[in-house]
Amino acid sequence: MYPWSSSSYSGQAPNPAQNRTMPNGLDDQEKLLAEAVGAARKQAFQMNHFLDKERMLDSLKCASTMLSELRTSLLSPKSYYELYMAVTNELNHLELYLSEKSDKKTDLYELVQYSHTIVPRLYLLITVGIVYIKNDSTLKRSILKDLVEMCRGVQHPLRGLFLRNYLLQCTRNILPDVMVAENEHEGNVYDAIDFVLTNFAEMNKLWVRMQHQGHSSEKTRREKEREELKILVGTNLVRLSQLESATLETYQRLILPGILEQVVSCRDAIAQEYLMECIIQVFPDEFHLQTLDPFLKSCAQLETGVNVKNIIISLIERLAAYNQRSGKTSGNGIDAIIPAEVELFEVFSVQVANIVQMRHDMPLEDTISLQVALLSLAQKVYPDRIDYVDKVLGTTAQILQRMNMNNISHLLSVNQELSRLLRICIDFYNNALTIIQLHNFCPLLEKFDYTSRKSLALYLVMNILENETQVPTADQADSLLTIITPLIKDDDASKDILAVAGASSTDAEEFAEEQGVVARFIHLMRSDEPDMQYKMLQTARKHLGNGGGQRLKHVLPPLVFAAYQLAFKYKAIAEQDENWDKKCQKIVQYCHSTISALAKADLADLALRLYLQGALVIGEIRYTNHETVAYEFMTQAFSLYEDEISDSKAQLAAITLIMSTFEQMSCFGEENAEPLRTNCALAASKLLKKPDQCRGVVACAALFWSGKQNGEEMRDEKRTLDCLKKGARIASQCLDTGVQVQLYVELLNHYLFYFERGNSLITVAMLNQLIAKVNEELPNLEPSEETKQIESHYKNTLAHVRSRMESSDAALEVSFAGITLN
Amino acid sequence: MATRKKSLLKVIILGDSSVGKTSLMNQYVNKRFSNQYKATIGADFCTKEVVVNDRVVTMQIWDTAGQERFQSLGVAFYRGADCCVLVYDVTAPNSFKNLDSWRDEFLIQASPRDPEHFPFVVLGNKVDLDNRQVSTRRAQQWCQSKNDIPYYETSAKEGINVEMAFQTIAKNALEQEAEAEVINDFPDQIILNSQNNRPGNPDNCQC
Repeated sequence: MYPWSSSSYSGQAPNPAQNRTMPNGLDDQEKLLAEAVGAARKQAFQMNHFLDKERMLDSLKCASTMLSELRTSLLSPKSYYELYMAVTNELNHLELYLSEKSDKKTDLYELVQYSHTIVPRLYLLITVGIVYIKNDSTLKRSILKDLVEMCRGVQHPLRGLFLRNYLLQCTRNILPDVMVAENEHEGNVYDAIDFVLTNFAEMNKLWVRMQHQGHSSEKTRREKEREELKILVGTNLVRLSQLESATLETYQRLILPGILEQVVSCRDAIAQEYLMECIIQVFPDEFHLQTLDPFLKSCAQLETGVNVKNIIISLIERLAAYNQRSGKTSGNGIDAIIPAEVELFEVFSVQVANIVQMRHDMPLEDTISLQVALLSLAQKVYPDRIDYVDKVLGTTAQILQRMNMNNISHLLSVNQELSRLLRICIDFYNNALTIIQLHNFCPLLEKFDYTSRKSLALYLVMNILENETQVPTADQADSLLTIITPLIKDDDASKDILAVAGASSTDAEEFAEEQGVVARFIHLMRSDEPDMQYKMLQTARKHLGNGGGQRLKHVLPPLVFAAYQLAFKYKAIAEQDENWDKKCQKIVQYCHSTISALAKADLADLALRLYLQGALVIGEIRYTNHETVAYEFMTQAFSLYEDEISDSKAQLAAITLIMSTFEQMSCFGEENAEPLRTNCALAASKLLKKPDQCRGVVACAALFWSGKQNGEEMRDEKRTLDCLKKGARIASQCLDTGVQVQLYVELLNHYLFYFERGNSLITVAMLNQLIAKVNEELPNLEPSEETKQIESHYKNTLAHVRSRMESSDAALEVSFAGITLN
Repeated sequence: MATRKKSLLKVIILGDSSVGKTSLMNQYVNKRFSNQYKATIGADFCTKEVVVNDRVVTMQIWDTAGQERFQSLGVAFYRGADCCVLVYDVTAPNSFKNLDSWRDEFLIQASPRDPEHFPFVVLGNKVDLDNRQVSTRRAQQWCQSKNDIPYYETSAKEGINVEMAFQTIAKNALEQEAEAEVINDFPDQIILNSQNNRPGNPDNCQC
């Protein structure tokens, strides 16, 4: 009897009149899916109903009708997957039922083969086959073989892929996973491997074939669909990785070669790229480590469209992560994890070189990305092996050399990868001193254009600053300064272009910031050995001297200050170093020439201040001949003042600085002091504006009072007062009352200062006279912000006097009695 | 329908990559643990027979990929789940933070009938490690705030709490099943002798 003679069944036969083209809209998909799922549910309900009634044949019929929904060609992979899920979920119920109820009397395996169409037939066959195996494991080997072969009957890619996925899913728990079976018919792990590899090969073929079906205009859609379906093919590999009895040896001998053979021979880029990635993900690191060669060799044989770079990077990242993860949990040193006999870096290094050589089509960026990956492998797995890192840099430089790539523009995309390579090095070590041990760092850097060399230099210097990396030797300083040359001077080749670019104001700020960074770096060149420190300063001077005025302004002052500090250091160790004196002289010479370089670069203000600072330092250190040299420094400052400084404000500021410096110094004998003192007074009185003159001259008073003569404060009461008087006279000549009152208040303060300190020539009458003058003029001033300031300055001054008058402090040298405050 | 008892429970395990989803399942189903790391791609299930309330049921445990890029076909397998297990790694705070999105994602994609009372179970895995980052209190608070989700701290490696957690999972899944059965999925309507005018195979393929 024909078990399927049911009228409802024939109604399902496809009708050509109802043919439609594949609908693309999402709504259509939803509608089609809903219809299909609805129809499947209906049959499932019936199927369960018959199962409850124990009407096996009817329920199988319903199952078959339900499964015919999977024959559709209208659904997209995702929709088909949903339908598949709904349907196979029902099949799971059927399977459970059959396992419980099946008796040997009905030959289900035969029975289901009567189903009209092949898709339902095979789904049922698989379902029943599993039930059989569960009941009698000696059938396992033969049924598995049968099923995987029978599935060849469906050659429609989408349907075939899902059918085989069902096979794979159902067999998950029953694949033979022992080395030797008790009963050979139960099969062993080799049968399982065979089974999955066969299924894998068939699925991959179906998947690849999709690419070549249909119209070429639908290529994009087809590729998207293939992309979605890849997971079904990949699941085969998952299954292989789940076989517990498959040892490393089995993997090396059977599994991996089996997979790779299929991958390479399918000659399909999408499949190759995905499956290689899949191998990396699903198999354990322990296996990868022992099979790097075959895997990487296969990488070299993949199709041109395959992004081999991503595959290698993915593998490297995985192994590096493994190394770190295991290193953490086991608590051993990091390099203990990857077995010593696996020369990870060497293997990758050789194979990557091989890939680069074999794949001429590979874009240069990708080649460089591979080097980046190699580099990160070396750093993560062998953090101490600087030579590995250096080797990668060397190889990269060679690759560029071969391609005759020089002066690589910062606009090229390959430049980004190359920069990344160098930046990774900088970031990894966080120590510029290690960077200079990389002999290939500089040669590679040379391949860049000026702009990118500069930005890398900046990156390195910033790294030095962030980590406060101290540079202890002159050689190291030399190497570092060589690397950062682009920051230190303009490019020889493109000087003109940059001169123009540097002129714009937006760049000026950036430029100043950049130079500031270099200046900060200079302070990190520090050695505990003074002689070494001196050598370092000399080296730095040589490098930094050629940058042009705009740079010198920023980078030479730190050198000068570092040199001054060094001089103090020598002074401090004078007892241990008998040559300290000579060394100080040398340092001072060094400073002198450095400062004069600044002066020559039209930086008079700066040079003047550095000379003054130098004079102070020399005065303190007192090495042989220091007085002459200090005098020289002072006179240099003076000549700069006279020759170079013309702005009146700057003049006042400069002369005030000169005077205050001189006032501090005690190293001069009278022979040298007198001309300096007189010159200050003269310069002050020659200032252009009256208020400036007044202030200058009054400031000069300090030279005669607390200025030094033969090491003692001078206390020349007369000449001090002369200065004050001269100031008062100049103030009286000012026409602007506001300014005049301001000057009087200031003068009053100066008079009070010397009065308090005991200049006996200053009388209470003089003070009263000034107070009277201010009292007279102050009320006449226009109310303004300045007036307010003058008033409050005056008020505070009077308050000071009052407190002195009321004070009973015996320590006061002078009597404030008689001062009229109102 | 009432006579035949359904005895298949569908359980989905979700969570970030490498929190130990596969290991938990392996420990529960096969009593095995391996330190080897194999990433799961896609989703597939293991079955295990369990006794809950004196009933033998088959539990279908779906192990899933934590990385979205491995779910190229979407997550249709969420549908029809009877219980959802959310796993995080107690040494990885981010995996805990992501529980929210895993839960939301599940409720959206699986669209259970009664999302408010759908049974979840949260597992804080890897308690055997000593660099713990997420406190029990914090995890419990989160679970309480989500309608009192049962919470277990497990170690797939040492088998701590795994059996107990899955017992709860099975029990809650079974209750969910029972509720679902009451509602029952009768097909919308059965039209006798209706013309089936749904499109067939355009390529006229017999397979």
